[in-house]
Amino acid sequence: MRCHADTDTVDFVIVGTGAGGGTLAARLAEQGFSVVALDAGPFFRPLLDFASDETAQNQLFWTDKRVSSGTNPIKMGGNNSGKAVGGSTVHFAMVSLRFRPEWFKSRSILGYGADWPLDWAEMWHYYSMAEQALAIAGPIHYPWGPKRPRYPYRAHELNAAAKLLARGCEALGYRWSETPLATVSAPRGKSPPCVYRGFCRFGCSTNAKQSALTVWIPRALKAGAEIRDLAMAGRIDVDHQGCATGVHYVREGQWRFQNARNVIVCGYAIETPRLLLNSETACFPDGLANSSGLVGRYLMTQANQAAWGRMEDEVRWYKGPPSLALTEHWNYEDRGKDFFGGYCWMGQGPLPIEWVSVQTSARGLWGPALRTEMMDYNHQIGVKMVGEMLPNEDNRVTLDDDTDQYGLPIPRITYEWSENDKRLINHALNQMTMSLAAIGATRIFPQDDDTNHLAGTARMGFNRETSVVNSDCRSWDIPNLWICDGSVFPTTGGVNPALTIQALALRTADRIKHLAARREL
Amino acid sequence: MTKDADNRSAAPPISGGAIPEASNIARAPSRPATDRVYERSAHDLHAAAGLIALSVLLDSAVEHYRGSYHNKAMFTPLVTATITLTATAHGLRAPAGLGHAGRRGIFVLAVATGAVGTGFHVYDILAKPGGISWQNLFYAAPLGAPSALIVSGLAGFLAEHIRATPPDESARVFGHSVSRSAALGSALALVGTSAEAALLHFRGAFQNPAMFFPVTLPPVAAGLLGFAGLRPAVGAYPVTQACLTATAAIGLAGTGFHAYGVARAMGGWRNWHQNLLDGPPIPTPPSFAALALAGRAALRLLAHDASRAGHTPARAVPP
Ligand SMILES: Cc1cc2nc3c(=O)[nH]c(=O)nc-3n(C[C@H](O)[C@H](O)[C@H](O)COP(=O)(O)OP(=O)(O)OC[C@H]3O[C@@H](n4cnc5c(N)ncnc54)[C@H](O)[C@@H]3O)c2cc1C
Ligand code: SF4
Repeated sequence: MRCHADTDTVDFVIVGTGAGGGTLAARLAEQGFSVVALDAGPFFRPLLDFASDETAQNQLFWTDKRVSSGTNPIKMGGNNSGKAVGGSTVHFAMVSLRFRPEWFKSRSILGYGADWPLDWAEMWHYYSMAEQALAIAGPIHYPWGPKRPRYPYRAHELNAAAKLLARGCEALGYRWSETPLATVSAPRGKSPPCVYRGFCRFGCSTNAKQSALTVWIPRALKAGAEIRDLAMAGRIDVDHQGCATGVHYVREGQWRFQNARNVIVCGYAIETPRLLLNSETACFPDGLANSSGLVGRYLMTQANQAAWGRMEDEVRWYKGPPSLALTEHWNYEDRGKDFFGGYCWMGQGPLPIEWVSVQTSARGLWGPALRTEMMDYNHQIGVKMVGEMLPNEDNRVTLDDDTDQYGLPIPRITYEWSENDKRLINHALNQMTMSLAAIGATRIFPQDDDTNHLAGTARMGFNRETSVVNSDCRSWDIPNLWICDGSVFPTTGGVNPALTIQALALRTADRIKHLAARREL
Repeated sequence: MTKDADNRSAAPPISGGAIPEASNIARAPSRPATDRVYERSAHDLHAAAGLIALSVLLDSAVEHYRGSYHNKAMFTPLVTATITLTATAHGLRAPAGLGHAGRRGIFVLAVATGAVGTGFHVYDILAKPGGISWQNLFYAAPLGAPSALIVSGLAGFLAEHIRATPPDESARVFGHSVSRSAALGSALALVGTSAEAALLHFRGAFQNPAMFFPVTLPPVAAGLLGFAGLRPAVGAYPVTQACLTATAAIGLAGTGFHAYGVARAMGGWRNWHQNLLDGPPIPTPPSFAALALAGRAALRLLAHDASRAGHTPARAVPP
């Protein structure tokens, strides 16, 4: 690995190496820029470091101190944030979906949320690039949305849970599909094909998963980027002309400063605004890039409610990646809805400890009742939604008085579901329950409190008054400060976000190249 | 083509050497020459039938083990393939006439088992959600696999016919010439096998460029072979022959490639007990070699037909 001294002024220092940061590190280095990418988490070697143990793999999650408040506080941790080189993609579920094109203009076309300053057709191009890079294994024909090129790898074999999802959809008259997944169904480079052991959300120990850690980081290293792990950025410095000069970070107990011509923040929807807010100066008393006052605002999570049931036959839902099949019916069907937005639902395969926590939290089971219920583990079946929650200014990340292990003020997260969100969730719970009933599942129960992916808090937009960054992910206020991760989403759509983040990062890298060529960096 | 037959007899083609007995050039083949051609062709067809049966035996043993033999009928191909294999071994060694009827019965049984198996596999696909879909074509019971048993049975059946044909008669099956039936049958089987390789290599995203070999060259060989079977017979088929030889080579090399595929799965050969089940099937590529062998037998018979008809000498026949 090429290494830089802190005193070297590198072209780009990137904070965070997940879906956004990892992709940018690779693409910018490949374009010839000097790049140092910092990540607060360790650089894991999955073949050596990953245990087949749910508890041990908590090492992947961001479990630093955070305050979660509001009417519907978001449960933080493994279900929404990672801390590792590769970011949350190290333990993400690999579902790689494209936005419905209309969502890029949901305000003007669908009447809710906000428009993105991007054209869907252009994004379609970058989605294809991302899918190729990640060797997505997907169906030959994806039933929803405009035509897309063939996925580079074939879809995986459906497990029993996925086949049951398909039967449920067929019973309701909805289309279903194999889920496009970022895990290979045939060998690829050093990745062996998936072995269907279902540990995906606890880190894939075979490297079949095509995460930022296995795809972008190796590319970044090859192109000469430096990946500095266990390096927590605490503050971005800005000179008196209002330009970023580099990043203060702590590594091995020491605060250091990396000089850079450009800073790109890719810490995801909680840590990105936190870093910007923690970097306030006399010139920027409300934090960096925050003249609009919107840094930290419009936080969105996605509804992740589920319906669970029991089948007479054994299902063994833990086999294989959890979400092998899905339906996007309610993302593309606008009729018959009493809410804005969309949702999809997909197959599930929680591992035992996760399943215990569903039983204890959603049903309050304990003791012998819990034990009896767990005996049925191999017969359980379930579907889980990924639902669009609407952007709301008051759902936000602010700084708390408390500090973390680095002495940095911790984030306070405030969240409340809107009436629209609740209607969407109810609709989905009804539909999912019906789909389970239709295949003869018994003892069906809803899990109505779960949320997962995050977005917002540094939204992109058309002008400096109503957004934090422009369509190039460049902050309106500080020309050499960029933000490129899930936090720039103006709306979150009804699909998992990682592919969109990576497509966005690919576009941003191209835009940076273009701007550099025109000396506009 | 027949115009230069005489030139050819003056300068014998080089496609694979000559049958010793036939090396004295004659307009009509002698009895021993016919004997020899029939014997060699029957031998090769038996060998082809045996090789395919072996491939079916090993492949279905592994694949049905993978399916936990959850249906007792899943043992059937193992039993039938074993019997077929035994019959071909017997056919290869036994003196003409001995055990002929019994072996013929066994080959018919193989065809029937293959047909029933295909029915089962079609049902398996239709019963799955999605029905006839890529997902099920890729992962449900493979459509092409049981038909390998049909091919094995047919090859054995033809071999028996040829063996039972007196040298002074032309070998015919159900009123059709055996040479043409063998040529067209082998061509069809090659196309089918290639189609199955295409399906499964497509499933594997053609991730290794070598995966294109079995879906490009064998169809060409099949095309030439089919063409030869439909056209009036001629004395030699050097190009078809070469393509069949290359097809056989691909089949054998395929085993090596599949072994490499197993090595690329998680744990490689150290984890053979899982990767042999989940990796690319090692027993299947040699089917190409078997079919090439059958194709060569067909060419030999066709060339012999031509020489009988007095067009060309019988010597331009590969050993
Ligand atoms: C369990 C789980 C399953 C998921 N499944 C899917 C899925 O199937 N499909 C999908 O599309 N999405 C999925 N996601 C969501 C997806 O992983 C994230 O949306 C995506 O990774 C976010 O990308 P990002 O670049 O914004 O942030 P991340 O990928 O989270 O990367 C942020 C990185 O920044 C680092 N960082 C943050 N702050 C600092 C700092 N101050 N200094 C140094 N480093 C810092 C963090 O350590 C982290 O590594 C899942 C997420 C989880 C948690
Ligand atoms: S099921 Fe596949 S992708 Fe998931 S952890 Fe196992 S090998 Fe990796």
